[in-house]
Amino acid sequence: MQSASARPRAYLLLLPAAILLIVFMAVPYLNIFVISFRNPGQGTPYADGYTLLNYTRIFTSTLYQGQLFNTLWIGLVTTFITLVIGLPVAFQLGRADLRWRGLAYGIVLSPLLVGIVIRSYGWTILLGNNGVINRTLINLGVIEFPLPLMYNSLGIIIALVHVFLPFMILPIMSAVQSIDPALVSAARSLGAGRVTVIRRILLPLAMPGIQAGCILVFVLSLSAYVTPAMIGGLRVKTMAVTVVDALLDTFQWPLGAALALVLSAIGALIVVIFARATRMRWKVQ
Amino acid sequence: MTKVSITKLTKNYGPGIRAVDSISLDIPSGEFVSLLGPSGCGKTTTLKMLAGFESVTSGGIAFDGQDVVSVPPEKRDIGMVFQNYALFPHMTVRGNLAFGLEMRKVPKADMDRRIQATLDLVQLTPYADRYPRQLSGGQQQRVAIGRALVIEPRILLLDEPLANLDAKLREEMRVFIRDLQRRVGITTVYVTHDQAEAMTMSDRVVVMFGGKIAQQGRPGDIYDYPVSRAVAGFVGQVNLIDGKIVGVDSGIARVDTPFGPAEVKAGHRTEGDPVTLVLRPEAIDILPADAAGGVTASVVASYFSGAILDYTLALQDGQTVDVKTIARQRFEPGAQVRLAVDAHRFWPLEVG
Amino acid sequence: MARQALNAYSILIYIFLLLPIGVVVGASLNAGEFLTFPPQGLSLRWYVAFLNNEVFMRAIRTSLWIAAVSMVVSGIVGTMAAVYYVHYAARWKEHMRIAMLSPLLLPEVLTAISLLFFVYAIGIGTTTMFGLLVGHVLITLPFVFMNVTSSLEGYDPDWSTAAQSLGAGRWTRFRRITLPLIKPGVFSGCLFAFVISFDVFTISFMLKSIGSSTLPIQLFDYLKSNYTPEAAAVSTVSIVVTILVVVISEKVLGLRIHRF
Repeated sequence: MQSASARPRAYLLLLPAAILLIVFMAVPYLNIFVISFRNPGQGTPYADGYTLLNYTRIFTSTLYQGQLFNTLWIGLVTTFITLVIGLPVAFQLGRADLRWRGLAYGIVLSPLLVGIVIRSYGWTILLGNNGVINRTLINLGVIEFPLPLMYNSLGIIIALVHVFLPFMILPIMSAVQSIDPALVSAARSLGAGRVTVIRRILLPLAMPGIQAGCILVFVLSLSAYVTPAMIGGLRVKTMAVTVVDALLDTFQWPLGAALALVLSAIGALIVVIFARATRMRWKVQ
Repeated sequence: MTKVSITKLTKNYGPGIRAVDSISLDIPSGEFVSLLGPSGCGKTTTLKMLAGFESVTSGGIAFDGQDVVSVPPEKRDIGMVFQNYALFPHMTVRGNLAFGLEMRKVPKADMDRRIQATLDLVQLTPYADRYPRQLSGGQQQRVAIGRALVIEPRILLLDEPLANLDAKLREEMRVFIRDLQRRVGITTVYVTHDQAEAMTMSDRVVVMFGGKIAQQGRPGDIYDYPVSRAVAGFVGQVNLIDGKIVGVDSGIARVDTPFGPAEVKAGHRTEGDPVTLVLRPEAIDILPADAAGGVTASVVASYFSGAILDYTLALQDGQTVDVKTIARQRFEPGAQVRLAVDAHRFWPLEVG
Repeated sequence: MARQALNAYSILIYIFLLLPIGVVVGASLNAGEFLTFPPQGLSLRWYVAFLNNEVFMRAIRTSLWIAAVSMVVSGIVGTMAAVYYVHYAARWKEHMRIAMLSPLLLPEVLTAISLLFFVYAIGIGTTTMFGLLVGHVLITLPFVFMNVTSSLEGYDPDWSTAAQSLGAGRWTRFRRITLPLIKPGVFSGCLFAFVISFDVFTISFMLKSIGSSTLPIQLFDYLKSNYTPEAAAVSTVSIVVTILVVVISEKVLGLRIHRF
């Protein structure tokens, strides 16, 4: 309840954020859209005049198509794996009676507090040909030659799963926490077994968290730059890496813009299809 | 001491949504007035307009003849008690009481003295340095009242302050608040949907329906002489008996009822007019079947609640009536009894 | 039985989560010239090397400075927007929420590129740190907004109303009632903003000006051509700094929460 006289100037509270988001988010996004239709420049980022060439180039080049496909594939696999391995942990963390809950929660949060460069660096130390994993296995006599864990999609996926696992666990955990424990007791009293309780009560109620986690991880995987750049090296390039290189190294702004927009559009399309398929209620949690 | 005059007060929420519809009310200095009605009747909106939290669409509010409609809430000098208390959780009891005095820049010594006096008044001296969450519901309630009173406001406004308390505490608090109000002598407006609360505490009850005042008066008068079916039903259990006037004699109308003849004031009614009579359940006496007088009825159900027994009975024509008696003599369902009513216990409704 | 299996499984996941971080910390103590496993003895030599490396020290200073500025700006702008959102927004509430969270919902790469083009379009380019700071503020803003919003949801508007009935004006109400009560949310929002800004990569990578490399950028560049454990020492210090900031604030925050 607010005094009627308090309203007129309240919008001033919103003004700074509105200016910030309009001038530095909305306008730049419009701008990038326009630039993606520009002619490529000679020694300049772009030239006068408009063209569809940047888009046709993407859809006719097998190189870009391959990278696009690979990026989407990595994103989907990463999302799937984080979901499968994160779900049980999220359910366990969501229980109020867990001992060591504070510690476990801290561990799940910890990767978020450690920079993404450092985490990816950790994985290069682990996955390299002379890395911790290969050395250990060779010294134990399990293998003779190093396993190819780095500079391929496998390495990228392993590292991305690690990097984004908290983003899967945390939303599901908070959804689980908001489930009234009495519902489980009620279901049990009505004759439901443990598995039925999970399948019929807990999973459906945790669904908003699962959806949010999946979308978050997928979108973050698509636009991840550091991890693919460090783990994939020059051999495996994801779209985000190509885009950044196109802009910073070769100064092909219109092409880079078009690539970034195509990737984002396809990502958004997949998110929408996913949301439809799982009957997501459109509400940002 | 402040008297409050409300004239043709109206509140619209957008076109066609009228929450309060041209109500007028004069509250003499020191009176305890309850606004009683179901939710959505406009009582809370009226209170908020008195406090200044709701803008006024049209009409006037004056404290001691001085118009306050354009005065913002923080300048109105009111004491307000909220339904959920709205105690500041980051301040102690003392801090909560001090807040309003600080806003008025009361000198420190004076402030301490007034806080202490108020703590004594609401019996919270031992709890002065506790935080609200460390207090029970009843104690929090008393802090809320103390916080409103310590600033010595012109009027005290209470918005369903007992709604969140359990039944026993609610009854204790009724007495507490009423005593306090009498001692301080402050003009008080009390909003509630609980008729028993309004009856026990108020000097005057204002019954509201649909944004309008349906009836106002002393609690006993509202109960005994309701003007409409709605008021009669809202302020207690009621039997409504339809009858026809069979004769009018020097302002007194005789009505035939299933209980025998009733005598009520005629007013503008004449012989042959239909009339609806109010008969409170406790006005009916239940007698054993072999008693003389009264009409025959059978017990349909009885509800025992300690001192009181509530019966539902069926008359011979099938009509059911509710009767409330003290639980000295009990009749089982199915028992035949006789019902007797004094001819003067009926009251005719003004409107259907 | 099922419970024990779940516990064992969870512990495996926790190890997986901590593994790369632990490996980096371990590597920083390697006495050898290169990152080798098993390590060639323990030493703090790479910490000494790092502390004497002006490039890294400058990067840390830059990172801290940018994190502090974006924390303050986001903290103020985000808190104001959150207060508006919870107490005043009515018609476009859900739209407003999505707009406030948009820097988080849209791919960071796309935001970074858009901002890069934009700062060139308005003629500022990356000669100053302006674009970099704006990018950091945008990225951290949602975190302040979310934290303050959630603490405001537990805020009873009647507290403000009660203060008003007791004679408090608008600013007094905010200063004496609202702010103290949402302080934990503002505080953790600012903390998040600081930590996120300290770690943001893509935005910094695209928008950095000459000499404004943040620590993650410097580390990334360094790792392209160097394999010494010095990078691990830098990383460990960065981890420790972050954890210290969080733990100390949590303690302070914890005390505040316990007061009411």
